[in-house]
Amino acid sequence: MSAVAPWVAVPAVGGALVAGVYATGVLDALAGRRRAGRPLAVGDALSLPWRRACLLLVQRGVSTERPDASAWMLAPALYGAMAAAALTVVPLSEGRVVADLRTGIVVWGAAEMLAMVGVYLHGWSPNSAFPLLGAYRFVAQAVSFELLSMFVLIAAALPARSLQVTRIVESQESLWNVLRQPLGLPLFVVVTLGVAFWGPLNLPDGDDLAGGTGAELSGPARLAWEGSRAAWLVAASAMGAAAFLGGWLGPWLPGPLWMVLKTLALLTVTVWLGHRAARVRPERFVVSAWTVLLPLAFLDLVVAGVQALP
Amino acid sequence: MSDSAWVDGFFWLFSVGAVASGWRVFKTASMVRASFLLLASVAAGAAVMLLLAAEYLGMALLFMMAVEMTVMALFMVAFMMNPAGLNPMRMVHQKTLAAVAGWVAFLGLAAVGVFGDLPDRPLVDAATALEDLGVELLGPSMLVFESAAVTLLAPMIGAVVLSSSRGRFGPADHGSAPPDADGEADERQTDDRRPR
Repeated sequence: MSAVAPWVAVPAVGGALVAGVYATGVLDALAGRRRAGRPLAVGDALSLPWRRACLLLVQRGVSTERPDASAWMLAPALYGAMAAAALTVVPLSEGRVVADLRTGIVVWGAAEMLAMVGVYLHGWSPNSAFPLLGAYRFVAQAVSFELLSMFVLIAAALPARSLQVTRIVESQESLWNVLRQPLGLPLFVVVTLGVAFWGPLNLPDGDDLAGGTGAELSGPARLAWEGSRAAWLVAASAMGAAAFLGGWLGPWLPGPLWMVLKTLALLTVTVWLGHRAARVRPERFVVSAWTVLLPLAFLDLVVAGVQALP
Repeated sequence: MSDSAWVDGFFWLFSVGAVASGWRVFKTASMVRASFLLLASVAAGAAVMLLLAAEYLGMALLFMMAVEMTVMALFMVAFMMNPAGLNPMRMVHQKTLAAVAGWVAFLGLAAVGVFGDLPDRPLVDAATALEDLGVELLGPSMLVFESAAVTLLAPMIGAVVLSSSRGRFGPADHGSAPPDADGEADERQTDDRRPR
């Protein structure tokens, strides 16, 4: 277990997240306008997230009647900080990882679950009806996809015989997990969309709830919340790239570049799905998560387990 | 500053944090705040376990308690008719019993700490500790842990069955009527208007 000094680790994780969040904003603008039939020039898309961030920063924040002000302010911080914590266990390349913990995927799971607390508090604290409904929706959603997340990651850990993410990448030297365990990556994409409540799984902040947990948000608080959601999309795409697409492994190009390219590829897929797939109803997602996706995750675990037998 | 000084500093920070947020649990007037203050207390405890090199147990504690406290907050609000947990309510009841139980537990644990024969061997390698834990959980102690797991699962299924609106005998709100503007149930609406 190697330790990275805090003055290296914090800028590394923070920088990766800021760059990833910005890339998400650009991809989202491009995909959204393309879907709407009015394609955006790449130059305009490059400046759009920056302009939107500036607008939100100078916008006045409004409040509700008797909110739990501290919880409301801290909830985006908790949710975003958990994305950063989750990203610390994902390696950029061989030896380049902030926290090379033996319990890497357990850290990931703990971050995912504490993120749920952040979303719930974010919806509960404004003392407003639509945000509260969104908060309850997210708990139902998160409890449903969390088991998927753990089962597919345990399946990825089986060939490595380790919960350490670097070992999981190294175990894919001969064959990537996306081919060895074909169910793993599609299920993890569902988890990615779920944890960032993006596109089809935007149940807590959906338009049908007038913005859900974010219904009362404005100004810098909205910027923090939207940034944190994109940060989770980035962190989960990076984990998907490491656990299923072989992380830094690949010919010709240097390792870190492969990792960035694979993460960006997954990010593009999730952002694209966000504009192409219709939002599902909460009941339908919860029922299908427990009756269809969870058995598929069991099957994934069985496939990985049989292959891991000596 | 040396590593052990950092560890000592964080140990005191998290210990004081655990006690302080545990105390705030009983001072707040909201079920939801109480639940998440308890989560903060347990999370500080988990951080102390990480400092003690119990890497897996500390992380697993965080992992489980995050879900557990959220679900607890939801069920408490759902069953206690306290809309959204925002109506003020007292977190303390049966004060004498609670005080006696609290002191007995504190003195008992303190006695173990002071008079117990605690091991003082430093942990050499955290990797073997993790492996030993796995072998223990799936080996000699398997029956204990599996019994605990099934015992915990049974009330969970019970709670879901009790709170589910879809039951074996039809929808749970079958035959019930929404209250009118005065808060009284409207007698004319008690017939079953919903399709099964």
